Amino acid sequence: MLLGVAPRTLPAQLSLNEALRAAFPPPARIERQTAFLTERDLVAARAQAGPDAPITQSVVTYYVARTGQRTVGVGYFDSHRVRTLNEVVLVVIVPPDRIRNIEVLRFAEPPEYRASENWLEQFEGKALNADLSLKGSIANMSGATLTSNAIVRAARRVLALHRTIRPFGPVAHAQP
Amino acid sequence: MRIRRSRRSHITLVALLLAPIIAVHAQDTTDVDRLEAQVEAITRELEELRLGRDLVVEADTSVYGFGPAASKVYKVAQGVSLGGYGEVLYENFADSREDDTPSGATDRLDALRAIVYVGYKFSDKVLFNSELEFEHGSTEEGGSVSIEFAYLEYRLTPTFGLRGGLLLPPMGFINEVHEPPAFLGARRPETERQIIPSTWRESGIGFFGGAGPLSYRAYLVNGFDATGFSASGIRGGRQNGSEATAENFGAVGRLDYAGVPGLTVGTSAYLGNSGQGAVLPSDPAVTIGARTFIWEGHAQYKLAGFDLSGLLAVSTVDDAAEINELSGLTADASVGERLIGWYLQGGYDLLRNTRSEHQLVPYLRYEQLDTQDRVPDGFAASPANDRRLLTLGGMWKPLPNVSLKADYQIVSNEADTGVNQLNVNLGYLF
Repeated sequence: MLLGVAPRTLPAQLSLNEALRAAFPPPARIERQTAFLTERDLVAARAQAGPDAPITQSVVTYYVARTGQRTVGVGYFDSHRVRTLNEVVLVVIVPPDRIRNIEVLRFAEPPEYRASENWLEQFEGKALNADLSLKGSIANMSGATLTSNAIVRAARRVLALHRTIRPFGPVAHAQP
Repeated sequence: MRIRRSRRSHITLVALLLAPIIAVHAQDTTDVDRLEAQVEAITRELEELRLGRDLVVEADTSVYGFGPAASKVYKVAQGVSLGGYGEVLYENFADSREDDTPSGATDRLDALRAIVYVGYKFSDKVLFNSELEFEHGSTEEGGSVSIEFAYLEYRLTPTFGLRGGLLLPPMGFINEVHEPPAFLGARRPETERQIIPSTWRESGIGFFGGAGPLSYRAYLVNGFDATGFSASGIRGGRQNGSEATAENFGAVGRLDYAGVPGLTVGTSAYLGNSGQGAVLPSDPAVTIGARTFIWEGHAQYKLAGFDLSGLLAVSTVDDAAEINELSGLTADASVGERLIGWYLQGGYDLLRNTRSEHQLVPYLRYEQLDTQDRVPDGFAASPANDRRLLTLGGMWKPLPNVSLKADYQIVSNEADTGVNQLNVNLGYLF
């Protein structure tokens, strides 16, 4: 429209259910599950996430999507502080433990610091390892260091929790 | 019948015997159901607290049948946003200049900046953002308190919005992003101080947005005041939004492409008159236009421990001779008709392959600039304004938002009056 740039479709401010439905469209069924982590689980998850991605929650709600008997993905919501205000992201993980995509659902800081879709695409296919960091394969967002850090931490935290909860595993333990 | 009676009596007897067990079992089932329901309620409450009521409650509307209108009020995320950055700079100057004469420069230790960002989000479409700047420690000692920017923003769509107020013209790297941990060097590149006069702020209106890897901003702002131009550049012509003369306006725009992870390539330009209604002293019938044009192109690559960037900036000022007459500038004190500067810099995080959050980045910057690359006929360019700076140093970041930088700058110019200096900068942002 301006300077030769065409506007893309405008996403609304998605709710939790809308975001999940967009991530796992029908015929996938979405089941809400909650894991109650033991102290041992927390220690394991923290060790995997690393010291810069603190995990404080022992009650973790996640959403498992199934098509028939097949688990097609899991969605985790992560809320974290960017500068002084919070951001909420949906991290979608596909078997065995790789990020399919990250969606920003709420971002209260000034919009120029919000992660662009283009920047978020860097997380596609990423697993939890040393490369998943701003020192590794994730490029910093120019002028939005705090947002970059916050989302990288969220990705590490979610992947570490996912490995601990193991919703794709033979026994998805620690469920109520 | 007896049998039947007998059977009936047996059944009755068994039923009487099992009744307490069945009752207990039924009681247990009810308790488990109740506990499960309680756990479910608690986890939903927890989720709502963590993620925000607006996000979760509306989700529940589809589950529990609340109408969408009932939850609309929750969709408005509001609130105050606070942030800030600051830096303390130590500069130790060499005793002698390039030509071995005494430099006479005095070392400085300066609480250079302490900044507070204050923003308020009225709604998802309307917000206020500002930066309040305290420079040089105290107003009693020559410091200042300024509003660096303060604007209202109306975001019509995620890809397009309007902005108005005291704005930062979107040129170069530093003018918009100047938190010390965000760039290499204890001191900002001179090209981004003299050719692009960062930090440059003017009042105006404009639009901004982006689509995919492209982002853009374009503003109409009040123009420079040419009476502040000098041989050292156009920096003195900034009006900073302070009762600015608004006889002339300028247009500034920027386009960036960030389609490759880590890489940003972009350009920006400014055009506007700077005469602000001033007339030529020798001929009051002549109004000085002083059209000012600034162009820059930039590229940055930040990935896998590398931090590489380069920038080229060119400015031109029309009616430089008239501005000289207006300001009483003669000989080599002339305002430059053309100003040019560029730099290349690079750094690499030596701790990149460690799990530590620390970063240790040695860096190198080479820079050339000339604020009198061309002067009007009848005037001369001072060779002292044709400068080269080589900066070698290192940055340690114990956290991404805290930096300690130290570097040595070898400064030379065509007049051989350059003075080398050692700089140490302690910076933070939050």
